[in-house]
Amino acid sequence: MSGTFVTGLLASLLAVSVASAQAPKKPPTVINPPPTAQDWTDLGKLPDWSGVWNPKISDQDAQVKTNPPPWNDAAAKKIQFMFAEEKAGRPRLIFSNCLPEAHPSWMLVTHNAMEILFTPGRITMLGESDGNRIRRIYTDGRGHPEVSDPTFHGHSIGHWEGDTLVVDTVDIVPQAPLAVSEAAGLPNNGDMHVIERIHLADKDILQDDLEIIAPKILTKPWKTSRIFFRQRARKFDIVEGVCATGDLAERVDANGDNVFVPVQKSEWGHTVAVPAK
Amino acid sequence: MPQLVKSIGALAAVAVLAVGISQVSAHHSAAMFDFSKSETIKGSVMELRWVNPHVTVTINGSRNEEEAPAEWLMEMTSPGNLVRAGGWRRDAVKPGDKVEVVFSPLREPDKKMGLLKQLTVLATGEVFTANIRDQEKPGLE
Repeated sequence: MSGTFVTGLLASLLAVSVASAQAPKKPPTVINPPPTAQDWTDLGKLPDWSGVWNPKISDQDAQVKTNPPPWNDAAAKKIQFMFAEEKAGRPRLIFSNCLPEAHPSWMLVTHNAMEILFTPGRITMLGESDGNRIRRIYTDGRGHPEVSDPTFHGHSIGHWEGDTLVVDTVDIVPQAPLAVSEAAGLPNNGDMHVIERIHLADKDILQDDLEIIAPKILTKPWKTSRIFFRQRARKFDIVEGVCATGDLAERVDANGDNVFVPVQKSEWGHTVAVPAK
Repeated sequence: MPQLVKSIGALAAVAVLAVGISQVSAHHSAAMFDFSKSETIKGSVMELRWVNPHVTVTINGSRNEEEAPAEWLMEMTSPGNLVRAGGWRRDAVKPGDKVEVVFSPLREPDKKMGLLKQLTVLATGEVFTANIRDQEKPGLE
C-alpha cells in the first residue's frame, strides 16, 4: 500500500465526514404548531359550550332498566350478581382505589359536573371530583397513534360535522369498567372503541350520543345517550376535588403540623370510623 | 438490606391493618343504606369532613330522650354537589352546633351510621339537604 494511496483514502474519508456534518438535517415533525390569530378567531364560529354541565342522573338511573348494554352471557351473569348484591345492601365497588371512572363510564354514570374548553386544535373536558378527570380530544386532524399506549381516558380524536362534535376514542386500559351504575359494571378487557356525537339538544342541554364497542363483554355495539344541563351561576363553578381526601381526616399532629390521617372504610367504600381529634 | 426492606414492608402492612386503611376509597353506591327507612336524631356536631367524593358529618346525638347519646357518622355526596343541590357550605355547621338530622340508616342496625337526607341547625332554623337529583334543569340560581 503506497503512501500516496493512504493519504488519498484519508482525505476522502475526511471529505465524506465533513460533508455529512454539514448536510441539512431533516426538520422535526411539528404536530403542535403555534396557533395563528385566525385559529383563535375560528373558535368563535363553533357552538357555545361554555358554562358548567351537570349530568341528568335520573336518566342514568332509568337506563339501567330501559336500555341495558347487550352483555354477553358471561358478562350478564356477573352483572346479575352485582344487581343482587346491590339489592341486598352489599354494593360492589366498581370504582375503587380512587382511580378515574375512565372513558366512557365518566360520561355514563358520573354524578359530578364538568366544563369543556375549546382551544385551537383541541377540546378539553375537565371533570369535577377526581382531580384527574380529564379528556383531551384532538381536533387538529391527527389520527390515532400507530403504537397503542392505553390510558384511562384513551386516545380521542374529534371533528365537527355541522354543530356536532364527533369523537373517536381507542386505547383505553382493559381494566376500565363499562359501568351502568356505581354498583354494576365490568372491566372492558380490551379492544374497546367508543364513538360519540356530542351536540346541543336545546339551548342549555348537551347530549352525548355514544356507541360503545366492547367485543370482550358485549355481543354487539351498545348505543346510549347522556344528558347534561348548562349552569352559569357562580355556585356551579368547578371546584377542586381530590378523591383520596375521602380516606383522610384533617388533624394537627404532636409537632403542631396540619396533617391528614386515615379514616376507616368499609369493603363497600363508605366511611365507618373517623379518628378522634 | 433486602431483609430490612422486607421488615419495613411487614411493619407497613401491620400499620395499615392497625389503622384500618383499606384500598377501597371510591365513588361508591349508597345501597348499604336502607332507603325505605327514615330516622331522626338530635345532637351536637362533632366534625364536618368537607372531602371528596363523600362528605361526612359526625353527630353526638340520640333518636329519642330514652336513648343515650352516641356518635353517629353520616355520609353525603361531594362538596360540589352539596353546595349546588343542598345549599351547603364548608362552614355550614361547626363543632358544638345543635342540629336535627334526618337520615336513611345503615342496613346493619347495630352500627350508628346513615345517609344524611336533611340537616337543620336548631339555633337558626337553617336547613341543608343532600339530594343530588335536585339539580336537573339548566340555569339554576
